[in-house]
Amino acid sequence: MNHFIQLVLDGLFVGSFYALVALGYSMVYGIIKLLNFAHGDIYMLGAFAGFTVLSVAAGALGSGIAALVVVMLIAMVATGSLGIVLERVAYRPLRNAPRLSVLITAIGASFALEYGVAVAFGPNPEVYTLEVGNGALNIAGARLSDAQLAMMVIAVALMVALDTLVRKTRSGRAMRAIAQDPKACLLMGIKVDNVISRTFFIGSALAGAAGVMAGAYYGKIDFLMGFIIGLKAFTAAVIGGIGNLRGAMLGAIVLGLLESFGVAFFGSEWRDVFAFGFLILFLTVRPTGLLGERVTERV
Amino acid sequence: MATTVVVLGLSLTACGGNLTSGGSTDSDSGTKGTIKLGMLTPLSGSSAAIGPNMRHGAQLSVDEINAKGGVDGRKLELTVEDEACDPKTAAAGAAKLVSAGIDISVGGYCSSATLPTLSIFNKANIPVIIPVANSTDLVAQKLPNVFLINGTGIQQAQAASQFLKDQGATGVALLDDNTSYSTDIAKRTEQDLKSLGVKVAGHQSVTAGESDYSGAVNAVIRAKADFVYWTGYYQEGGLIIKQLKAAGYQGKFMVADGSVDPKLIEIAGQRNAQGVFATMTQTPQTVPGGAAWAKKYKAKFGSAPGPYSTQAYDAVRVAAEAVRESGSTDGQAVIKALEAIDDFEIFSGSLKFTSEHTLIEGGFHILVVKGNGFTLNK
Repeated sequence: MNHFIQLVLDGLFVGSFYALVALGYSMVYGIIKLLNFAHGDIYMLGAFAGFTVLSVAAGALGSGIAALVVVMLIAMVATGSLGIVLERVAYRPLRNAPRLSVLITAIGASFALEYGVAVAFGPNPEVYTLEVGNGALNIAGARLSDAQLAMMVIAVALMVALDTLVRKTRSGRAMRAIAQDPKACLLMGIKVDNVISRTFFIGSALAGAAGVMAGAYYGKIDFLMGFIIGLKAFTAAVIGGIGNLRGAMLGAIVLGLLESFGVAFFGSEWRDVFAFGFLILFLTVRPTGLLGERVTERV
Repeated sequence: MATTVVVLGLSLTACGGNLTSGGSTDSDSGTKGTIKLGMLTPLSGSSAAIGPNMRHGAQLSVDEINAKGGVDGRKLELTVEDEACDPKTAAAGAAKLVSAGIDISVGGYCSSATLPTLSIFNKANIPVIIPVANSTDLVAQKLPNVFLINGTGIQQAQAASQFLKDQGATGVALLDDNTSYSTDIAKRTEQDLKSLGVKVAGHQSVTAGESDYSGAVNAVIRAKADFVYWTGYYQEGGLIIKQLKAAGYQGKFMVADGSVDPKLIEIAGQRNAQGVFATMTQTPQTVPGGAAWAKKYKAKFGSAPGPYSTQAYDAVRVAAEAVRESGSTDGQAVIKALEAIDDFEIFSGSLKFTSEHTLIEGGFHILVVKGNGFTLNK
């Protein structure tokens, strides 16, 4: 029985990382129908931004969760701003171009970010010096480390904050309106470009936060770390219903659990087969995802 | 996904080049001019850290030989191409080396990336002296031009199994990363352990490049293994050690030569990595005379030699020796000379090839992590 709980915990933990990245994917797709394939690399940049902050100010920050939160906030501002720049430079000029051109630009941007970081930091993996607690909780025989618990709490807090922002604020209403019909929004006097920039800022900041969390928890970061998680986040977004924020969170948790149980029953080499197998399954059987009615409405 | 698209494009164009120009150049350079050596090594991608080690090691050798007047009055010249630890990039790089007219190849790091280059070199009549890659898959095709100067996976697995038995392991969990090099060692070790009567407590393959290995970690703990042998590279190895320790694993750890890098200790955390064993061919730290050599290396390149600097250095020396013996750079003649080499001193001992073109003696040592480095286990 404790093995079962262990698998659930592992799945939820990995799922919370996927969720933070998947939210950005889903938000951008929801609002301008762009699959931002550079999004995983924003996650990687977040990890490197946090690493830079740590190497500059490790002494002043100390260690533990407070230090992690400070580093994370700085990295979130950095990646958020970079998200805005990315949108300005790579996507806005192509807003009215065919969908395929934008997709290709996104892949190009992904490469530029990856190899830009490889040039700046070198191709070697870097190691975080931050330690987030050493203890572990025992939950009915399963093990959840303090660090894992802290990461999950932070991830959930960020997700709740985003959900409230989108549902309860004017700014969130503007985002939802643009997702419905950008042209009508323009006619109604909403500054569409500003809202899109804001969306990129929030999505990229969340991915940056996930990057810092990955750095702090796993310890190792490298310039290609965003690639696989980008694809996984995309998968999570599709499973949940791309464009739907709660769907992205749900999809990420489902994907995390699927992987955790898949690996336990079939072996570690099946992890990605499982994840992407489900992507294909969902695309064929239920392309709108678990919570994806909104997408059907639009189509 | 992005990587695949672009790299595929590259390899297609490069193969085109190979078809038109391959093999036409070596007849002109058969007797005079510089001796052109080519090296494929990871300069980008996940193993990019190794590239400079190999390139500098080979360059040191080239410069030393040239300073002594070269081989038969002919200077050596080294051309380096990226293999990125990726089969498609490596094949493109090999085609580029062929059209650059190299006489002998002295590269090859990742086995899975080296494999597709072998037949490209074979078609162009270019002998290949592989300094690092050591999967038995490399010699399985029995191409006449392929020589391994690193110990093979078979030899490494033997060294590992014997050590595990001597340590009194009662349940060994094998973990590999699904690449040719890694699964080869893990499978061989599994067989060897069984024949030595040591219990194998499971065998898992993980995917390289991820961060979360909780699946493999859970499997190891549930199997109640008392020894884990990781046969992949250091990036994942460090993470697996760290995550196993965090999950409460109490047993011992061993890694294969792809994981022997100070970064492994840094990633795992110094405390976690203490006492981790490794199967490894020679490093400058473990061979006699290595310290003086390392000093020369450091004076020239400003950094200490890393893993595989010595093997790359030796590959160039072996190539030069074969050219000297055969008196030409013609592929067939060089291959004959390589097969005839007997008792040529390289870092790992005396060099002689088996009929399969692998080393007669593997020369694997057991290293152990002490402080922030690997030292010889005594």
